[in-house]
Amino acid sequence: MANTENHADQNMASRAASGGVLLLAGLVMLFFAWGYPTGTLNQMGAGFIPQAIAILISGLAVAIIVIDLKAPEPERAGPVHWRGLIFISAAVIIFAVLVDVAGLVPSMFLAVAVSMFADHQARPVPVLIYTLLATFFGWLLFLVGLELPIPAFWR
Amino acid sequence: MLRKLLTSLPLVAALAVPAAAQDFPDRALRIVHGFGAGGNADTVSRIMAEEMSRTLGQPMVVESRPGAGGTVASGYVSKEAPDGYTMQLMVGGHAVAAALYKELPYESVEGFTFISTLGQFPFMVAARAGEYASMEALVEAAKAAPGSIKIGHSGVGSTQHLTGELLALRTGAEFLHIPYKGGAAASTALMGGEVDVVIDTGTVIRPQADAGVYDILAITSGERWPDAPDVPTVAETVSPGFDVVSWTGIGMPAGVPDEIAGTIRVAVHDALAVPAVSEKIASLGAKPSPSSGEEMTALIEGQVAVWKDVIESAGIEKR
Amino acid sequence: MLDQFLLGLSVVLQPDVLIYAFFGVFIGQLIGVLPGVGAITAISLLLPVTFYLDATTSMILLAGIYYGSQYGGSIASILLNLPGTPSSVVTCLEGYPLAQSNRAGLALFVAAFSSFLGGMVGVSILVLAAIPMTVIALKFGAPEYAMLVILGLLAASMIGTGSQIRSFAMVALGIALGLVGADATTGYYRFVAMPELADGISLVSLAMGLFGVSEVIRNASQRAAVDAPALSIRMRDVFPTRAQARSLVFPIMRGSSIGSFFGALPGTGAAIASFMAYAVERRFSGTPAKFGKGHLPGLAAPESANNAASQTGFIPTLTLGVPGDAVMALIIGALILNGIIPGPRLMVDQPELFWGVIASFFVGNIILLMINIPLIKLWVLLLRIPYQKLYPVIVVMICVGVYSHRTSVTDVILTLVFGILGYVMKNYRFEPAPVLLGFVLGPLLEDNFRRTMLLYGGDFTIFLTRPISAVLVTCSGVLIVIGIWSSLNARRIAARS
Repeated sequence: MANTENHADQNMASRAASGGVLLLAGLVMLFFAWGYPTGTLNQMGAGFIPQAIAILISGLAVAIIVIDLKAPEPERAGPVHWRGLIFISAAVIIFAVLVDVAGLVPSMFLAVAVSMFADHQARPVPVLIYTLLATFFGWLLFLVGLELPIPAFWR
Repeated sequence: MLRKLLTSLPLVAALAVPAAAQDFPDRALRIVHGFGAGGNADTVSRIMAEEMSRTLGQPMVVESRPGAGGTVASGYVSKEAPDGYTMQLMVGGHAVAAALYKELPYESVEGFTFISTLGQFPFMVAARAGEYASMEALVEAAKAAPGSIKIGHSGVGSTQHLTGELLALRTGAEFLHIPYKGGAAASTALMGGEVDVVIDTGTVIRPQADAGVYDILAITSGERWPDAPDVPTVAETVSPGFDVVSWTGIGMPAGVPDEIAGTIRVAVHDALAVPAVSEKIASLGAKPSPSSGEEMTALIEGQVAVWKDVIESAGIEKR
Repeated sequence: MLDQFLLGLSVVLQPDVLIYAFFGVFIGQLIGVLPGVGAITAISLLLPVTFYLDATTSMILLAGIYYGSQYGGSIASILLNLPGTPSSVVTCLEGYPLAQSNRAGLALFVAAFSSFLGGMVGVSILVLAAIPMTVIALKFGAPEYAMLVILGLLAASMIGTGSQIRSFAMVALGIALGLVGADATTGYYRFVAMPELADGISLVSLAMGLFGVSEVIRNASQRAAVDAPALSIRMRDVFPTRAQARSLVFPIMRGSSIGSFFGALPGTGAAIASFMAYAVERRFSGTPAKFGKGHLPGLAAPESANNAASQTGFIPTLTLGVPGDAVMALIIGALILNGIIPGPRLMVDQPELFWGVIASFFVGNIILLMINIPLIKLWVLLLRIPYQKLYPVIVVMICVGVYSHRTSVTDVILTLVFGILGYVMKNYRFEPAPVLLGFVLGPLLEDNFRRTMLLYGGDFTIFLTRPISAVLVTCSGVLIVIGIWSSLNARRIAARS
């Protein structure tokens, strides 16, 4: 008995999750916007619209929570693609950190290499070959062809 | 490659031969600026880069690092190595930022080695043709009905905005200052009748004035401007001593050796002496104005003082 | 009018000039395919080239890059859910599902052909009605813009396949994201956590993150599910059937009209035009349920709209010398450097330039269509590459594109943040498109609403006393009534059954 109740609670919580996160976002926004000057109608301050939008978001979030809880069948959130999430994020972060200090070629190389491991069948040697090729063509496209003003290597 | 390809097509004038190699510079140089690609700063950077890369014998890349009125780029450049390979195209906004921001990630004057100004340009006070007979008439109308005359400007804290505020302070006339996103939008609003006056650069005002759409009531420089000798100054009409001129210039991080700064300065002055370059600078509404580093420093220090005063008196919120 | 246009044609059809028209649209097309590397970057990189060209040729080259990129933008949207340009975000909504259901060739053909027709309508309006359009555009002051945006938001609240309220919430979230940065009216810093955010979040980061990165995260680790099906690339499958073609006539006409109108208004542009065209299509469609699953009219309308808009976008530029957006400012800059001051007198003083450029649009659109149709086969072949070989390149292209846009590392990180946000949102049935709509329209609304209040002393009746504004308010009212009526109707039908 207690078990099913617990199960139902969990179900309730997961149903309200998406609206809940949105509500949190709205409230955080309201928290920051609260200090902004609102001004008068003809000299409207910078805070008027942010506060209005924050309240709107929070209101809509509450409505979404209510609708989701009343929905006849719970809509299941899709599975989380952890592998993609982790390796793609790592690749982008590596690129961002390196591009200003190490130049375009090393950052492209590492970003391609790391992102390839989002695919669970990735093996080191094909990854290396592929990465070298991709980096070469990236260099050709962005630096030789388009002449983007990004240094190829650390200067 | 794209550029080479396109310049190798027909219709292209012959290119000059690059100068011989030397000790400095021995690799590519960068001009950083703090505005979006396609702005005036970007265009001036590319004009200079094109010419200086020829005289210095090294490629020169233009890097746009826009953000927070150019202060993101200034912060970036001031922290780069003072080896002469990184320079910044600065605009009058550099002095405005020093007055406008509560705190900046750099020292506006001490943080830089100033090389030379490139061009100086005044602002023009414009109204729809026939609205106001003269600058005096405008100020009188503003005094007769305080707050009824609307001045459109190109953004809060822009030099254009502050110039309008300064005009109000000095003449005692009260205007309603309306912000737009850029001079083009303000100019459109003037054409459409939404505002009564726009204060902006010649590039925005002149084409409309030439076509008879606008009257240029006055120019903001202390002396009459060689390009428009018939236009009276604000100083001689409504506010003696009024003198606002904006500028573009080249700066480097503080601590660049004199020798290297000198090489760059010579390259800048040589470029400005090339007729094709000075014509392009002039076509953007500016007067080519090569200067020494000291002159540029003095110019900036003077403007910082003026804008601090305006921002305080007009009650503009600091950022 | 016709002999002036013929004068223009005689300028463009010189072989030398034609080469530049060709290269302009060709480069633009390629640039448009690359995510994040936009027309602005390309044009400013090529600006020095124009120092060696005369004014007319420079302008034909640069303009070609601009509208060529609009064509290219739809290709990556359809094939990979990567909006190459912000205005092709809407193309993803119907184009990508089409590609996933093995109809990429058809989608590319419809996109190219609607782009062509939209472009042609835009050029025709430029030729025939540039001056009247200018007069109308000048009548749009702050109150009109504010009401136009409200009408747009109402019309577009249907975007997205999920529930209405979720879509509203996402529009609001988009508006909130658009608030980040220095307030345009007072300069006050809002939600500026670091100085790089002072100018706000970049549209490129948001679009690339919500659409591109989130899709890569979802698919990179899924091998079997996304492996390319046996692709047919027979040319026969590329062309729409007669019935399909017929169903596209009105959407393309509507899209072109909407695009032409928004393009001519300074400060709005192709991205807004394509959103509006999609929203209108969906709102007035007999089968709204088909949208979001690869519905051809939903692809054709915005495609024709953004290309029409990128042509009529030249109206304020050419007739007033006032640039409507950053690309136009750049093109005007190139003209100025050539010693030609664009302004109201351009048409009279420089007829060869004025009409030459307009005629080049005409020729350029034909060239684009001719390049695009044969290339479709090639693009579809791209999908034969397994996604596992494609996505690392996509990731890096997004990174480089976003970084090059403002030379900003912060933008790259933000793209990832929005990528994760987009991924999570989709898992919880929130659509990304309304976020972008709110982001694009929100600042326009706030800016013009507050300016109206400032200009007219806080008087709300101004929205009703100015004629154009009053018409827009009425339209909004009608939309609200229709919305309520149709939802009541739907409930009644549901109750009966």
